[in-house]
Amino acid sequence: MFSANGFILRVLSVKRGWLMAYIELENVTFCYPGQSRPVLRDINLSIYKEGVTAITGANGSGKTTFSKLLIGILTPTKGWIKLNGQLLTSLTLAQIGRRIGYVFQNPGKQLFCETVEEEIAFGVRNLGLGLSTDQVAQKVRMVLDYFELTRYAQVYPLSLSAGEKRRLAIAAVFVLEPDLLLLDEPTTGLDPYRKKLLGDYLDKVIAAKRGVVIISHDQKFISRYATRLIKLQEGQFVEE
Amino acid sequence: MDAIVVNQLSYSYQVSGRQILKNISFKVAPGEIVALIGLSGCGKSTLCLCLGGIIPHYLGGELTGRVSVNGKDTKEYKVAQLALEVGLVFQDPDTQLFSPTVEDEIAFAPENLCLPVEEIGSRINKVLDILGISALRKENPNRLSGGQKHLVAMGAVLALEPAILVLDEVLAQLDPVGKKTINDILLDLRQQGKTILIVEHDLETVSIADRVLVLENGLLLRDGQAETVLADREFLLRHKLECEV
Repeated sequence: MFSANGFILRVLSVKRGWLMAYIELENVTFCYPGQSRPVLRDINLSIYKEGVTAITGANGSGKTTFSKLLIGILTPTKGWIKLNGQLLTSLTLAQIGRRIGYVFQNPGKQLFCETVEEEIAFGVRNLGLGLSTDQVAQKVRMVLDYFELTRYAQVYPLSLSAGEKRRLAIAAVFVLEPDLLLLDEPTTGLDPYRKKLLGDYLDKVIAAKRGVVIISHDQKFISRYATRLIKLQEGQFVEE
Repeated sequence: MDAIVVNQLSYSYQVSGRQILKNISFKVAPGEIVALIGLSGCGKSTLCLCLGGIIPHYLGGELTGRVSVNGKDTKEYKVAQLALEVGLVFQDPDTQLFSPTVEDEIAFAPENLCLPVEEIGSRINKVLDILGISALRKENPNRLSGGQKHLVAMGAVLALEPAILVLDEVLAQLDPVGKKTINDILLDLRQQGKTILIVEHDLETVSIADRVLVLENGLLLRDGQAETVLADREFLLRHKLECEV
């Protein structure tokens, strides 16, 4: 197993020699206000627009904090983050949101529309992707269909079960087709069958030369889909 | 006496009017670990809420049939009284945590039962210790990570020392260490004769159960020994409860 995986990793790292980092972090330290110990310390890391980067680490190790830094909800206490060569702090959340699609750990926190259909259409309509009404409708239909949400199209999102909410939150972000998907524990609440649907979708994303960063404890899912594995330990990343 | 008796239970939510549970009947004996599995939206969490009395007391809707926990009919007892029998750990810990510190969160129920101060103190220490979260004692639960919140919610329920424990996908968000901790706690509680119902999707996690209940579209599709059900791959694949990745 070592040899096969090792070889693939080797090939990937050679390939990365000429592949430009999509997100770059330099000396990033983050400390929540009023706390003395930083959650993340001096992190230097490049994330590429390819494959599936899995981030693991113990509960409370800072994985979710890290993901919030990547999409600009939190700003580093020290150091800087660049997205596609531009400083994250020089971009608006909407500009970042067009490039990175973020699915929160708690899907209830990102659902706010009246119906499931509206929820999926919202970003496509409002992120300035320049699509016609017909194109929007078609994309929404396709995603509803893929994630088996068509029968809930007119249902109030927060009345769905936890697993269905998660599927909806994922669908509402996937429909935007961002350069990079950032998924915080996406398999929690998904039954095995829906996990496979998600995984198959990730395969398509990668084939379309877009990237995925996934935070997860789901060993089985990671070992099947991840191409790069990094572990967060005592505020720093260890490449595995 | 059975720890849990569910008899011809049907339930529809008030808002959507959708019938989520359809004529469900089963019993759980004291000291049993029962796993409840099924696809998302099949009614697992709804059933948990019925066991804790949240349904029908807080959520309204239409409930027919009978649910009783340790001999108490959930329609006739208040949620606070039922909480002495059933400890319910919700799927989303945010809906359950409200105290300024972890310690207060865990102390809340024992304090409200008017237990002696020493007893409350020793329960807090014990719970923090077995869950491995002593370091979080003075933290604000809202500032903890998703997995840590689950452990605190679990602690708050364990401090009540209920005879029946219902865990709605608590393990899914825990790291391997957290999963092992909870697993050990559950096995230990079974030894003490406590009754446990866990909802999980991961069949490996479910394997500590003695018995497995399978829900499909609100119907109880199967009720059998864990070994038998989990070994029936043909059944699991047919009902999408297991998938080759």
